[in-house]
Amino acid sequence: MAETVLMRNFGRADSHTLASYRGAGGYAAWDKAQTTEPAALVDEVKKSNLRGLGGAGFPTGMKWSFIPKSHTGPVYLVVNADEGEPGTFKDRYLLERDPHALVEGMLITARAIRSALGFVYIRGEYVQPWRRFSAAVKEAYDAGLLGRGFDIVVHRGAGAYICGEETGLLSSLEGKKGWPKIKPPFPAIKGAFGQPTIVNNVETLCCVPPIIERGAAWFAGLGTKTQGGTRMYSVSGRVKQPGVYEASVSITLRQLIERAGGVSGTGRLKAVVPGGGSAAILTADEIDVVMDVDGCRGAGTMIGSAGVIVMDESVSIPEALLVLARFYAHESCGQCTPCRESTGWIEKMVHRIVEGHGRKDDLDTILDVAKRGGGTTICAFYDGAIGPYISYVEKFRGEFEALCRS
Amino acid sequence: MSNGAPPTSSRPPTERAGLAAPATIKFSPEQLAEVRRLQGLYPDARGALLPVLHMAQDTFGYLSLEAEAYVAGLFGLSPAHVHEVVTFYTLYFQQPKGRHVVGVCHNLSCHLAGAQDILRHFEARLGIARGETTDDGRVTLQAVECLCACEAAPMAQVDDRYEMQLTPEKIDRILDGLR
Amino acid sequence: MPKVTIDGKEIEVEAGANLIEAARRLGIEIPHYCYHPGLSIAGQCRLCMVDIDKAPRPTIACNTLAADGMVVHTETDRVKETRRSIMEFHLINHPLDCPVCDQAGECWLQIYYMKHGLYDPRMTDEKVHKPKAVPLGPHVMLDAERCILCSRCVRFCDEITGTGELGIFSRGDRSEIGLFPGQDLENNYSGNVVDICPVGALTDRDFRFQVRVWYLDTTKSICPGCARGCNIDVHVNRKRPHHAGGRRVARLKPRFNDAVNAWWICDVGRYGFGSVDDESRIRFARQRGQDLTRDDALGLVIAALRDHAPDEIAILASADLANEDLFALRRLAEHRGIRQVAFRVPPATPAADDDFLLRADRHPNSRGAEIIGLDGDAAAILARCRAGSIKVLWVIGHDITAAGWPARDVADALEHVGSIIYTGTNDNGTSALATLVLPLAAWVERDGTFTNFLGRVQRFRAAVEPLGDALAGWDLFGRVLGALGGPVAGGRAELWFRELARTVPAFDGLSYQSIGDGGAMLAGAAPTTAPEPPARRANAAASVAEVSR
Repeated sequence: MAETVLMRNFGRADSHTLASYRGAGGYAAWDKAQTTEPAALVDEVKKSNLRGLGGAGFPTGMKWSFIPKSHTGPVYLVVNADEGEPGTFKDRYLLERDPHALVEGMLITARAIRSALGFVYIRGEYVQPWRRFSAAVKEAYDAGLLGRGFDIVVHRGAGAYICGEETGLLSSLEGKKGWPKIKPPFPAIKGAFGQPTIVNNVETLCCVPPIIERGAAWFAGLGTKTQGGTRMYSVSGRVKQPGVYEASVSITLRQLIERAGGVSGTGRLKAVVPGGGSAAILTADEIDVVMDVDGCRGAGTMIGSAGVIVMDESVSIPEALLVLARFYAHESCGQCTPCRESTGWIEKMVHRIVEGHGRKDDLDTILDVAKRGGGTTICAFYDGAIGPYISYVEKFRGEFEALCRS
Repeated sequence: MSNGAPPTSSRPPTERAGLAAPATIKFSPEQLAEVRRLQGLYPDARGALLPVLHMAQDTFGYLSLEAEAYVAGLFGLSPAHVHEVVTFYTLYFQQPKGRHVVGVCHNLSCHLAGAQDILRHFEARLGIARGETTDDGRVTLQAVECLCACEAAPMAQVDDRYEMQLTPEKIDRILDGLR
Repeated sequence: MPKVTIDGKEIEVEAGANLIEAARRLGIEIPHYCYHPGLSIAGQCRLCMVDIDKAPRPTIACNTLAADGMVVHTETDRVKETRRSIMEFHLINHPLDCPVCDQAGECWLQIYYMKHGLYDPRMTDEKVHKPKAVPLGPHVMLDAERCILCSRCVRFCDEITGTGELGIFSRGDRSEIGLFPGQDLENNYSGNVVDICPVGALTDRDFRFQVRVWYLDTTKSICPGCARGCNIDVHVNRKRPHHAGGRRVARLKPRFNDAVNAWWICDVGRYGFGSVDDESRIRFARQRGQDLTRDDALGLVIAALRDHAPDEIAILASADLANEDLFALRRLAEHRGIRQVAFRVPPATPAADDDFLLRADRHPNSRGAEIIGLDGDAAAILARCRAGSIKVLWVIGHDITAAGWPARDVADALEHVGSIIYTGTNDNGTSALATLVLPLAAWVERDGTFTNFLGRVQRFRAAVEPLGDALAGWDLFGRVLGALGGPVAGGRAELWFRELARTVPAFDGLSYQSIGDGGAMLAGAAPTTAPEPPARRANAAASVAEVSR
């Protein structure tokens, strides 16, 4: 079993308090970082092979280095705590159980990118996590950790999945509806309030203190060749022990399901979603995939936010797709035509099939519409939606056809 | 910026107003000071719009058109721009809501754990359909998308609490506790 | 200046030009809905996809700046296929109600479907329903089901007028444009949202259901509504007169001119053409209520001017007249030695400049009248009338009974004048009191030029025939001048302009040809650009404040 890095403090009494965090050696990395040059911090994170854990898997250190060197105005650090990907719940654990790890990660990152102001965008439904994190921020102010060159504003969202997309989040932070921004310019050039901005996920930033404290080589060594570290896998659905599991990113999906107690229900595996609702589904034969960015990509799916949803043989795949199709139709922001129009259309078709009024050519239409819309929109929302549209229908076509009129 | 106070951006939605809209839509002087503090936290005051709308909803019960126009005035925004925001996010209510709001997750993990049965049990116990509010203004019932507590499916948000691993018996106890 | 290659043709464009503009310069049209050169880039319709060498997949042209060495293809199979897909998405929930839609014939959904779509519809499920026939203020009607959510109208109200009345509410396929409930779209530029709406979502309440657009003819013109002289197209219905109850001028549309009005016109100008087809139009000459032939009426004018001493004659000319008319009138006055000629009659309620295009001076040619030399003292003429010294008062266009003069003074003046000649397009209080009335052709019924308040001389052209016996001003004044033995320039407006350019130094060197479609500055006048829209000014002020904070 891999080393516990991100969840190291979860078992401690009052792990959310400053006293407990300090007692476990917290803020030592920040002490070290304060005497390290910002460029050296960026280098260290680059060498650690840390990749964004919010969904896109972009190399974190490289992202930080995109802030224009010549820029003299403000730079903002924005934390994406708008967790919303179906099947994912790890950031909730971090905010509730180890909020100071995020504060410390933000302090170090802010130094690395020369930011004096950070925003933490917490989804509106996360009231408990928001209270916990706000209390930690207050403790950090009282202890003089914050307010001396770096401030944190805790911001509550108001209910919109799209605000988990980094530029949708920035629009929302600016007091607008969460429409993703057209790129270029990218946030590192022109982000929140028109200034260079780095947006990182909660878990990603929680990796930063251990990297600084124990070194890039150690962190890189925990993972695979192209991705360092451990990560928190959210495992739910038909498993005996659903929950959040930390493991090296070199773990396979099969091992992960075993760690979660194995398949429940009928006990026979039918399919697994490996990386949150927007990941293409894998069949029972495909679970030896390595659960890092490249491993999942190689298997034609994505690790995304590492939300693993397990389905046993009794699960209806068309019904599962209907749940997700309804979700995408509900959450499409409506900005780009392909996504706005086809999420609703596909939901109608899947609904009709599940209700027994489907036609077999509906399946080809779903596949064709999904493929045509892919890659045509401002943000990755629709590219996420087509993961399930296409994979559920292609891999379980017989199950859909059985519901259709001949 | 370092004023010592934790710059968190809104009050929790604890005290809920009743169904009836207040006669006047107006913040108290203390609340107006809070609005100004929030606006000062952002490089552009508009950043405080979502937090201030939360505040307005907690204060006035829901975001009536009057409340939207009032908040627009506090930001120097056109009311249409505030209306765009209010209609975009699911946590803003444009109609009076119940004293308690129950949001039952019906996304994938909860679906696999029987979310539809859970929803039907809520509906039967409350005598309303999802999306409706009980006649006595006690509870608004909603089906909502993933609340990211899939390890505890089926689950629901009841006001600001997450209620996990729901069963019909647990639901009955929860509803009995809502006044 | 970057050089790009588009479909094999190379072109150098100014830095900052996007691929749509660069292609346009090569005569290549990249289809698009949300992009508008006068508005910010939204990038949401996704139609303007092109292939760029080394890019993995098609890219939107609107948000791609032309860069040196860039190689762009607008007609690859992949681009064509993407366009077809995007067109299908745009039309999934569209009601396809072209037969009853006012936009039919000038709808970019129709045009691009025929050019780039041409697929068989596959959508068999119930479409999303949204509000229909919703009035947005006095001029604009919304059909939200036809809307493709390109956000042009929203951006117009945010970025041009700064009034922000419109928004896109809700999300997903429930998204719809609209006003804050209870608010109206009543800024003075509201009609522009109809122009920029690429589909039938926003239609013009004044124009809708009048006539099909394919029956319309278009003529380049100048708005006569104020001293700005916004460039417009006049759309007239000559082919189906019965469709709009005899209304010939169907609508006015802005015509792009970066030096004057860019893409926009105001509602005052846009909806100010009603007098052209109004019942109050004067079609035939008359004397004390009795119709006269044109020649008989002209004969009476000629006699009046011939038989009275010059200082017994006064002329109230009008800044609604064209430069050509004013010049012919000046010739006539000079020929007869008439010195009492003025054109500035104060309006009953003085207007003010708005913060964008509309000028307080609601006449299109005050500057022309001033330079051509008709700028006498109208109040002095009124006083001379009251004193009984004026025997013949020739009023052109004005209603002096409803001007900014005390009614008693005007009544007193008219009582003391022997003979009041009224020449104008429409009847009014003055024509009712006139002894002799002669009809003038409206600006859409003849050729001519106006000089705007900044000294730009601009051409307008005849779009319809004059009504009845109406003549253009130059023609009427020229006929009188000729009969009195004066020097007549000729039987076309252009000949009078030529004479004007030869005679009045400020017009030196100008000709119809040099004025062209975009206008030309008077000698010595500084070149002009369209004013910054109010929202842009506000934003600029805000960013200055930002810097100084």
